[in-house]
Amino acid sequence: MGIEGENHSQVSDDMFSILKSPSAGIGPRLGRLSIPGRHTIETPHYLGITSRGAIPHISQDTFARDAHIQGVYVPLEDFIERAPERVPPLYLYKAPDGASPLRRYIALPDQSLLVLGARRCPPVAAPAANSNTDQTVSVSTNVGFKLLHAQDYREAVEKLDADILVALGDIQYGRTLGSKRITKAVDRNIDWLQDHIAARNAQPSKSTRAKLFASLLPVSCDNQKYWVEYLADDAVKHISGLALYDSCTLADMPQQLRHLPVLGFTLPETPHEVLRQVGLGMDVTTIPFITYATDAGIALDFTFPSPESNDSNEVSPRALGVDMWPEVHATDLSPFKEGCQCYACTNHHRAFIQHLLAAKEMLGWVLIQIHNHHTMDLFFAAIRESIRNETFDRDVKEFARVYESQLPAKTGKGPRVRGYQFKSEGPGEPKKNTAPFQVRDKSSGEGNPLMNDANAQQLENQGFAEKTG
Amino acid sequence: MAPRPSPALTFDLAAKCPTTKARAATMHLPHGSVQLPMFMPVATQASLKGLTPKQLEETGCKLCLNNTYHLGLKPGQKTLDAVGGAHKLQSWPYNILTDSGGFQMVSLLKLAQVTEEGVRFLSPHDGSPMLLTPEHSISLQNSIGSDIMMQLDDVIATTSPDLARIKEAMYRSIRWLDRCIAAHQKPESQNLFCIIQGGLDLELRKECCKEMVARDTPGIAIGGLSGGEAKTEFCKVVDTCTSLFPTHKPRYVMGVGYPEDILVCVALGADMFDCVWPTRTARFGNAITDTGEHNLRHAKFADDFGPVDENCKCMICRLPSEGGLGITRAYIYHTAAKETVGAHLLSIHNVHYLLDMMRQVREAIIEGKYPGFLKAYYWRRYAGDKEKYPSWAVEALRGVGVDLMIDD
Ligand SMILES: [Zn+2]
Ligand SMILES: [Zn+2]
Repeated sequence: MGIEGENHSQVSDDMFSILKSPSAGIGPRLGRLSIPGRHTIETPHYLGITSRGAIPHISQDTFARDAHIQGVYVPLEDFIERAPERVPPLYLYKAPDGASPLRRYIALPDQSLLVLGARRCPPVAAPAANSNTDQTVSVSTNVGFKLLHAQDYREAVEKLDADILVALGDIQYGRTLGSKRITKAVDRNIDWLQDHIAARNAQPSKSTRAKLFASLLPVSCDNQKYWVEYLADDAVKHISGLALYDSCTLADMPQQLRHLPVLGFTLPETPHEVLRQVGLGMDVTTIPFITYATDAGIALDFTFPSPESNDSNEVSPRALGVDMWPEVHATDLSPFKEGCQCYACTNHHRAFIQHLLAAKEMLGWVLIQIHNHHTMDLFFAAIRESIRNETFDRDVKEFARVYESQLPAKTGKGPRVRGYQFKSEGPGEPKKNTAPFQVRDKSSGEGNPLMNDANAQQLENQGFAEKTG
Repeated sequence: MAPRPSPALTFDLAAKCPTTKARAATMHLPHGSVQLPMFMPVATQASLKGLTPKQLEETGCKLCLNNTYHLGLKPGQKTLDAVGGAHKLQSWPYNILTDSGGFQMVSLLKLAQVTEEGVRFLSPHDGSPMLLTPEHSISLQNSIGSDIMMQLDDVIATTSPDLARIKEAMYRSIRWLDRCIAAHQKPESQNLFCIIQGGLDLELRKECCKEMVARDTPGIAIGGLSGGEAKTEFCKVVDTCTSLFPTHKPRYVMGVGYPEDILVCVALGADMFDCVWPTRTARFGNAITDTGEHNLRHAKFADDFGPVDENCKCMICRLPSEGGLGITRAYIYHTAAKETVGAHLLSIHNVHYLLDMMRQVREAIIEGKYPGFLKAYYWRRYAGDKEKYPSWAVEALRGVGVDLMIDD
């Protein structure tokens, strides 16, 4: 169906259906996101977060074969470092079979849902306080911050043939917004969305066209009243969903927008926070702590609402993950988690992972990343089951009782930092969301494989060589 | 003299090149059969640079290397014993070859010193003097459980001017081979290969071949070619040694991995090669192709939407319509040095390139067309400019009846 005709009531009907909603007020809900040719995504669910077109550590063949991530989020800022001086290569690329250029460029399988937005998740906050203008948004590229024009954004993303497009929003990351700033942001958002919709309507209808999601400001709906009213009264016919940057926006969402799927860029730091947001009606979310945990060498280990085994020896509360660095795993032939069906758990054991981490071998992070995403797949499946059974509130309480409130602290060294994204932050600029791990040992980089951390007695005990003096 | 059959290795000769000394064979090992000649990727610490065993298998690899030195340090012998060896550690169902650990010790540790008992070194941690003996090395390799183990040898650079030292190292390596054979606990499931030493001195090499071939190990390696020596000298050593080896045993030239070097060594009668180069060079953004190495981090590839290698059928280069990923040079440029997956993708291509080249080599040998294969390969590599052909290769191949300068 087209979106240009004024006769069409709501464009999102065919894509998102709500299967179960709270009987009254705010609550968790079940939905289904279906786009032809893609996995049908039962909601609540999550999207994998890509960096330069790939889930960190997971190469595309492994993604297709050994991970079961149903959809991914791709930030445009990962691809436009040389713009506008030079046309970004991605814009020049034509897929050999006429498929989505973005999908083919990053070798994403056909079945995976592809969501495109402007900023990384989490974004690097711009160093300047007011970095956006009436026409531009400040984006972080591997050559530093650049200005992305609203017009350039909408023209580019329309050509890339994603499944879902997150419309550009004047989102100030990492700052509290005053009322004047909110007013300005609302004006900009209205302008940009109006222009984007007008540009779409001016174009002849395409057989497949990305669904447009509008970006709400990271404040309550009441605090961005004009924007919300504009969306509900004028734009609702032309948008298929909402992108959220703070969960407080969910709490007072007006009824006229509640039929739309909600996509979260709210940076939850724990599974508990994911549950809280699901409880507010979040449909699809993005979860940076999956990769944070992987980089810290932590295999996520939680089951919603509580583990199946009733092992009385278990310490309470239980940890949300297993730190794979300690030597206790060195001869442990069990998987990260008994019964886990992920590629890592069905093919490898803790002893190998511990060895790979200690040896700074990249495969260690690959395997943990696969397991951690699988853990989230199961977590969301259990969340949906719980909503279906109408036990969600009780189950959330049970989960909070059984598990620790935070992920385990990081003890080991992470992988060698490759992403520019960690460096382009301005000096003294605090991160909005610090990683949920306390770093005890900041040194990173590839370790010397030599015997710098074993003494002679250890080497002899290991049978490597014998002491002679 | 018919060699004694080895319980853990059977060598079936499939074909001999009618012109050169090249051979095609099948080698049956405890974890499956492999086709010779072959290239073996190096999974130093029980993993090949970020690739899962499944990805490695998909490149066609059925035999990879682990380094004893590294595994001896991490995870260490106790852990290897507890886990049940390196196959179980890394969930690799195919074959593993391990080196002795001596070469890396001498090359990585400044203070290592070779004595008759073994390699002496100071523990960098506390300075205690320590000793790695042939018996330690074999015991470690027995714990690793590698299908092919290498003897501890006295390695010194072929470029050493000290002939007396080279001679001492050669004879010591023979004595150490005897100690390794005596120490080997599992000859029924693990194969111990000897390593021919003797520097660039052909008489020493011949003497070493005579002594070691008499020890009748299941396979034979040519060691001590560090890469620093002149290629002509290198070729003479390989040529001399293979002429003294029995036909029905695999011959392994250690540490050789550049396509042109491998192709010449195959013509000189060698069967097995290993090198870290394909994966190491991938980390720096280099793609191995028929026309040489291309650094995809160069800005000229930013807008290059061709596959990494037009002729390649690896998972990375094949189009989605052919069941592949259809990765472009531009995407490698986009990720190289910024996300590790960029290096993973190139590693897959590079390892596949070398394994596939060896498959083609084997096919050419079986069809009796290896000389033509060599000519075509060099022609492509240098875009038909024979002036650029390396003289050492031209000379070495002339010695086995192939003249690259003359077209068929
Ligand atoms: Zn798992
Ligand atoms: Zn390829």
